[in-house]
Amino acid sequence: MEQTVPADHTGNLGDSRRRFRPGKFLAPYLLSLPAGLWLLILFLIPLVVMLSLSLQTCNPATGACVMTWHWAEFGQQLSLYHTQFITSIWFAGAATLICLVVSFPISYWIAFYGGRRKNFFLLMLLVPFFVSFVIRTVVWEFILSDQGIVLGALKNAGLLPQSFHILATGWAVIAGLAYNYLPFTALPLYVAIERIDKRVLDAAYDLYATKREAFLRVILPLTIPGIFAAFLLTFIPALGDYVNQQILGGTGDTMIGTVIQNSFLTTLDYPGGSALSTVLLAVALLGIFGYARILGSRTIEEYL
Amino acid sequence: MNEQDGHGPEQREDHADPSLWRGLTQPRLSRRQMLTTTGAGAAAAFLAACGVKGTAAPAGTSAPAGGVGTAAWWSKQQLHHKVNFANWPLYIDVLNGKHPTLEHFTQTTGIQVNYTEPISDNVAFYAKIRPSLAAKQYTGFDIIVMTDNTPNALGYLMQNGWLIPLDQSMMTNFRKYASKLVTTFPWDPGNKYTMAWQSGFTAIGYNSSVIKNPPSSVDILFDKKYAGKIGMMSDLQELGSVGLLSLGIDPATSSESDWAKAAKKLQQQKSDGLVRAYYDQSYIGHLKNGDTVVSQAWSGDIFQANVSSSKYADLKLMVPEQGMMFWTDNMCIPLYAQNPKDAMMLMDYYYDPQAQSVLEYYNDYVSPVPSAQQAMLHPTGWAASALKALHPEIGLPTSLVANAPTVFPTATYLKQARNYFPFKSQEELAAWNKLFLPITQGT
Repeated sequence: MEQTVPADHTGNLGDSRRRFRPGKFLAPYLLSLPAGLWLLILFLIPLVVMLSLSLQTCNPATGACVMTWHWAEFGQQLSLYHTQFITSIWFAGAATLICLVVSFPISYWIAFYGGRRKNFFLLMLLVPFFVSFVIRTVVWEFILSDQGIVLGALKNAGLLPQSFHILATGWAVIAGLAYNYLPFTALPLYVAIERIDKRVLDAAYDLYATKREAFLRVILPLTIPGIFAAFLLTFIPALGDYVNQQILGGTGDTMIGTVIQNSFLTTLDYPGGSALSTVLLAVALLGIFGYARILGSRTIEEYL
Repeated sequence: MNEQDGHGPEQREDHADPSLWRGLTQPRLSRRQMLTTTGAGAAAAFLAACGVKGTAAPAGTSAPAGGVGTAAWWSKQQLHHKVNFANWPLYIDVLNGKHPTLEHFTQTTGIQVNYTEPISDNVAFYAKIRPSLAAKQYTGFDIIVMTDNTPNALGYLMQNGWLIPLDQSMMTNFRKYASKLVTTFPWDPGNKYTMAWQSGFTAIGYNSSVIKNPPSSVDILFDKKYAGKIGMMSDLQELGSVGLLSLGIDPATSSESDWAKAAKKLQQQKSDGLVRAYYDQSYIGHLKNGDTVVSQAWSGDIFQANVSSSKYADLKLMVPEQGMMFWTDNMCIPLYAQNPKDAMMLMDYYYDPQAQSVLEYYNDYVSPVPSAQQAMLHPTGWAASALKALHPEIGLPTSLVANAPTVFPTATYLKQARNYFPFKSQEELAAWNKLFLPITQGT
């Protein structure tokens, strides 16, 4: 009796605590409540509204919309604008590739050789991006203009033909996208490279790996999750971008973001714009799920 | 466009279970209320319900119901000594943060003007006030300023009967001083709904250091010599209208088959590589820095570029022999306005040549009041002191502004001015967009 009392006592105490303190059960839910509300209000509800709108039939003059379950909207919009989708995928893909190629050495150098100044170098990488997105793009428009400070000087020196121009081409759009989304590539890459234990490199060299082999067979595989995270973070926003094409592009290179913008703001075709947005979102989600399947969702989460 | 267009809510019930419709639409939840009260409700019901509310109106210009805007209705209106005026940014005389013309108006009439500048895009602004009008509520504005080349803003307002017919008896200055340009609009005969605020021409701007003495013709936009250096406008009304002009067709009286011909010509112009890009307001920057050598251009921009710097003295405005588009930003009174009589007073006030001369000295757009030219050259009374006070701010002699053909058009300008096509239905507009939208955003 005497011996069991304390044991019982403590045991009961523990049980009763677990049983009578609902806060303990609720804590995780309460803690995730802000995030949950955020997702609900700013993601889920707008998403359902968008999906709903894409199936309605609207009168653009009065704004009156009626739910007609008009699934054909998707087919109609896609048949009208599939080329703009393909252009967007091509531009965003090319820009992402450029971002990866450009930022890998930068991130690698900062992570491996940045030393005590790592944070300073990272800040230097980010400083241009403290300026508004649109202003940066407009400045490029100014710098790259046909008779501007770069092309004008080269043309006057006879190094370029007078008719040469960069603006109003698809290449200008790709370059603008690559420039504007660079930090979204560089930072996840940096995180991935920074995590690599430098001793594995020494181990590789001890096992007679050349520098090239050490990079290809040790560094690169270890950074692959970071590369994928960088790809997603760059490709998806670039896919829906509508600023770069409008400022830097020419004729016939319209991206789907511009089409959606025109649907909402110029022709007031809300169902059409919503349908295109839904398709764009579906493309992005497919990409994410595809990578999650290939890599496992946990590895992606770590770097996003 | 679709079978639902142009049907009222009663007709709509044919397409769905009537009880469902009543349940979902009768309380006429606003979009915002809808967003906050959707927690319950099944997914399908939610999908069906979260539409944008509004009442449909038949196509074609229609007067608002309930006798609003009739002489009898106007006789019952009273002055409230305040008016809410929504305009575009930088579109009124400013001196030391105040507006001399508005101050003078308040002094002489005792009406306080709450002047705001919320309009930077016709369609976006229309989309903003549309829910209020559909819910039969005051938009917060007694006067709004909408451009006549926006069939999906001003056009819709008129088609829906969402503008109050003006009190013709209160348009004394207007009848006395308004230019013929702004009293003969095919889309608003007799100025039943609108009075012009300011106007401008959409003509052709070119760089005279590259193109010397070109013939005055729209054909320059289709000249292979300038391939890749030609700027066109992304606005579908401007683009389509210049296409029509190039075929020798007056846009105001054009037909759908004309539109198709114009679209074909513009498509060809693009596929031949003549067009550098389809620009919004940014076209003027490209014309200035040499990216384009010839471009569709708004008259005011060329005038501003010329007076802003000697660097841009080479930019010239061409008045094509085929005509040029004449656009107008129009004051109108949206339905359910609370101070319509005060609004009428203010609108007519700006047709006083003195007030107009002060406004125009600042604005440099096309004035709807020709006699403001003399008022500007030989100012008297309060306008003389207002013009004098504005002079250091503007830095241009009043005679320069008064003699600019882009402010007070000469006979040539007047003769060449053309109006936009007056769209009467959504179907017409959809047909136009279907032809010209693929040019700006297609491959």
